Amino acid sequence: MPNRMLIAVVALAALAMVQTASGASYQPGEEGAICLGCHAEKGMTTTFRNGETLSLYVNDKELAGSVHKNLPCSVCHSGFSPDQHPKRQYKSKRNFTVVKAEACKQCHTFKKGIHVQMLGGLKDGVCVDCHGGHSVQSMKETSGDGCTGCHRYPVTMTFKDGTKHRLEVDENGLKASVHKKLRCADCHFGFSAKEHPERVFKDRRNFRIVAAETCRRCHFDKYTKTLEGIHFNLLLSGNLKAPVCIDCHGSHTISSGRHEKVRSAQRCEACHGEIYRTYSTSVHGKALISSHNQDVPVCSDCHRAHDLSDPHVADFRNNIPQMCSNCHANEDLMKRYGLSTAVLRSYLEDFHGVTITYYKKQKNSVRHIAVCTDCHGIHDITRTKGPDASVVKANLVKRCRKCHADAADNFPESWISHYEPDFKRAPLVYAVNLIYSVFIPFMIVGLVLQIILHIWRYAVNR
Amino acid sequence: MRGKERLKHEYITRFSRWRIIEHQANAIAFIVLVITGLSQKFHDSSLAEWIIINIGGIDKARLIHRYTGLVLLVLTLQHIVIASFGVIFRRWAPTMVINKKDFTDVIDNLKYYFGMTEWPARCDRFDYKQKFEYWGVVIGGVLMVLTGLILWFPTLVFRWMPFLPGQIIPAAKATHTNEAMLAFLVIVIWHIYNSVFSPEVFPLDTSIFTGKISKERMIHEHPIEYERLTGVSLEKPHHPAEGDEEGTGEGSQDIV
Repeated sequence: MPNRMLIAVVALAALAMVQTASGASYQPGEEGAICLGCHAEKGMTTTFRNGETLSLYVNDKELAGSVHKNLPCSVCHSGFSPDQHPKRQYKSKRNFTVVKAEACKQCHTFKKGIHVQMLGGLKDGVCVDCHGGHSVQSMKETSGDGCTGCHRYPVTMTFKDGTKHRLEVDENGLKASVHKKLRCADCHFGFSAKEHPERVFKDRRNFRIVAAETCRRCHFDKYTKTLEGIHFNLLLSGNLKAPVCIDCHGSHTISSGRHEKVRSAQRCEACHGEIYRTYSTSVHGKALISSHNQDVPVCSDCHRAHDLSDPHVADFRNNIPQMCSNCHANEDLMKRYGLSTAVLRSYLEDFHGVTITYYKKQKNSVRHIAVCTDCHGIHDITRTKGPDASVVKANLVKRCRKCHADAADNFPESWISHYEPDFKRAPLVYAVNLIYSVFIPFMIVGLVLQIILHIWRYAVNR
Repeated sequence: MRGKERLKHEYITRFSRWRIIEHQANAIAFIVLVITGLSQKFHDSSLAEWIIINIGGIDKARLIHRYTGLVLLVLTLQHIVIASFGVIFRRWAPTMVINKKDFTDVIDNLKYYFGMTEWPARCDRFDYKQKFEYWGVVIGGVLMVLTGLILWFPTLVFRWMPFLPGQIIPAAKATHTNEAMLAFLVIVIWHIYNSVFSPEVFPLDTSIFTGKISKERMIHEHPIEYERLTGVSLEKPHHPAEGDEEGTGEGSQDIV
C-alpha cells in the first residue's frame, strides 16, 4: 500500500529530525569531552596566592544551556588543550576573574555603544560579572525582557553637562510598585533586548522631563488635566523646576497615592516646604501628622492634583466656599467632630456670600470678597473654639480692615457666627425675626379676609 | 338716575399738585427698591438672577438700591417735617391722625360686611384703610431708611455708637428684610386692591393722578368731608357712630 509507505517515511523523517534536534542541544566536542573528563568531577580546586580557593568543577548541564556550548574550551581558555595544560598562578580569585574575562574581548569587541557607556560606571566590572562564565546566556533568556540583566547593576549614563546618572533599578521596589505587572518597554517605549537606542540628554532635569512623557500613553486623562494645571504651564513658560509626573509619583517605585494621605502632602513639601510647615501646625495638618487622621484635607484636596490652578486668580478664590464645603457641609463627616454644617449656607446668605455668588455668575470679579480662608486662615487654619479662639478673634478685625478700613475694634462682633440666630446667642436678631414671623402672616391674613368680605358685600348688594 | 349720572361727572379737587408728585415719586422709588431689594433677598431665584445680571451685576443693583433709598429718605424726611409744621402751625387739619372713630369705623364696616347693619361706616377725608396705609408708609419708611443706613455704613455705626452690641447689624438686616417683605405684601395685596381691583374703583382710582374725585364717590366714601365742604347735609341713614366726630374744623383739603 503506497499510503502506508508514505506515513512510515514521514514518521521516520520526523523521528530523525527530533533526534537531530536533541542531538544538537549539546555536543561537547572532542576537546570538550576530554576537558570534562576531569573537570566534571567535583572536588577539584585551585589555591590562589592570597589563600583563596576556587572550585574547578564545570557543571556540564550549565555549559549545555549556554550560548557558547558549541565552542571548544580552548577558545576562551587560551593556551589549554588536551596536550597542553600550563600551570598558572593568580594573585586572587578576583584577579583570576579579571584576567579570564579578557578572553571575551577576542570575539566581543566593544568600541562604542551601550557597553562602553555602561562600563564607564562599572570601572571594576568585567563581562563575566554580569553574563556569567560557563553559563553565559543570551540576555533575553536571563531575565524577563532582559532589562534587569544589566540594570540591576549600577550602570550609568552621562549627560551633556558631564553629570552621571545611575541607571540601576531596584527590583524589589519595582515589584512593590503599582506597575509591577507592566513590562519595562511599556514605559521605556522603543527599548528591548534587541533595540537599545542611545539617547543623549542635556542634563538630569531634561532627562526626567522627557522620561515623564511616557506616562501619558496610559494616563491620558490625567495628562489632559495637567495641561490646565499651573505646573505644566510653568514648565511651558520655561521654568524647568516645575514638577512632572515622576517628580511627585516617583518612577520605578510608583505607588498609589490614595492610601496614605500624609505621603501625598509630603510630595508637595519637596518644593513647598514653607507652606507644608505652616500646614503641619494647622488644625488639619496636626490631625494628619499626629493622629494619621484620613478625613482632613491635604494639599491636593484643595488645590487639586493634576489640574491645580493658580491660587492667586479670582476664580480660585471665589470657589473657596464650595471647596471648604466639600467637607464642612458633609453631615456625616462633621458629626464626628461636632461641627456645624450650616457654615456654607450661613455664609452664602450673608452679604459676602451673595456678592461672591454673583461675581461667579457675572464672571467678573470686581474685588476681593472675604471668603472662608480670610477669617479662618489659609494653610494655618485654626480651631475657632478652645484655646485658639481668642487668637482667631484678634486677627479678625485686621482682616475686616482690609476692606472696611474704618472698622472699630468691636466690628467683628457684628458677625454672629455661622449659627442660626437664637435667643441665647443673638436675642435681638431672634426677637426681630420672631416678631415679624407672627406679624406678617397676621397682617396678610387679616387684609385678605377684609378684601374677601368687601367683595362679598359688594356682590350681595348688587 | 340722571342725578346720579351727573354726580359721576362732577369732580371735587382732592389732592394738590405736590401731593400727587409726592405719591408718584414715592411709588417709583418703592418699585425700584422692591425690584433691586427683593432680588437681593431672594438672590437664589432665577428671576432675581435675571434681574441682577441685567441691571449689570450685584454691585450695580446695590448701588441703585442705596441711592434710591436716599430718595426715599428725602421723601420721608421732607414729608414728616412739612406735615409736622403744617399741623403744629395749624395750617392743615390733622386729618391723618388716628382717632377713636377709626376703630369704631372698622367695627361698623365689619358689621356692614356681615350684613348686621345696612350702611357702611361714614368716613371723613381719610378712612381707616387709608390711614393704615399712610402710617404704614411713614413708619415703614423710617424703619427702612434707618436700617438701610446701618447696613450701608456698618463700620460707622460702631464708630459713632460704640456702646451698641455687635448684633445691631444682623438685627438691622433682619428688620430691613422683614419690613420690606411686609411693605411689599401690604402694597401688592391691600393697596393695589383698594386702588385698582376694588369693584368701587376698577379699573383704576385716578384721583392720585388727576387730583380729583367724583362727587358720587365722595358722597359714598367720604360723606363727612363732603358735607363739611359743601355744607349740604346728605340724606344719611341712622348711624351709631354719627356725631362722635365733630367737624374737624378748618376744612382745608390740602392735607397730608
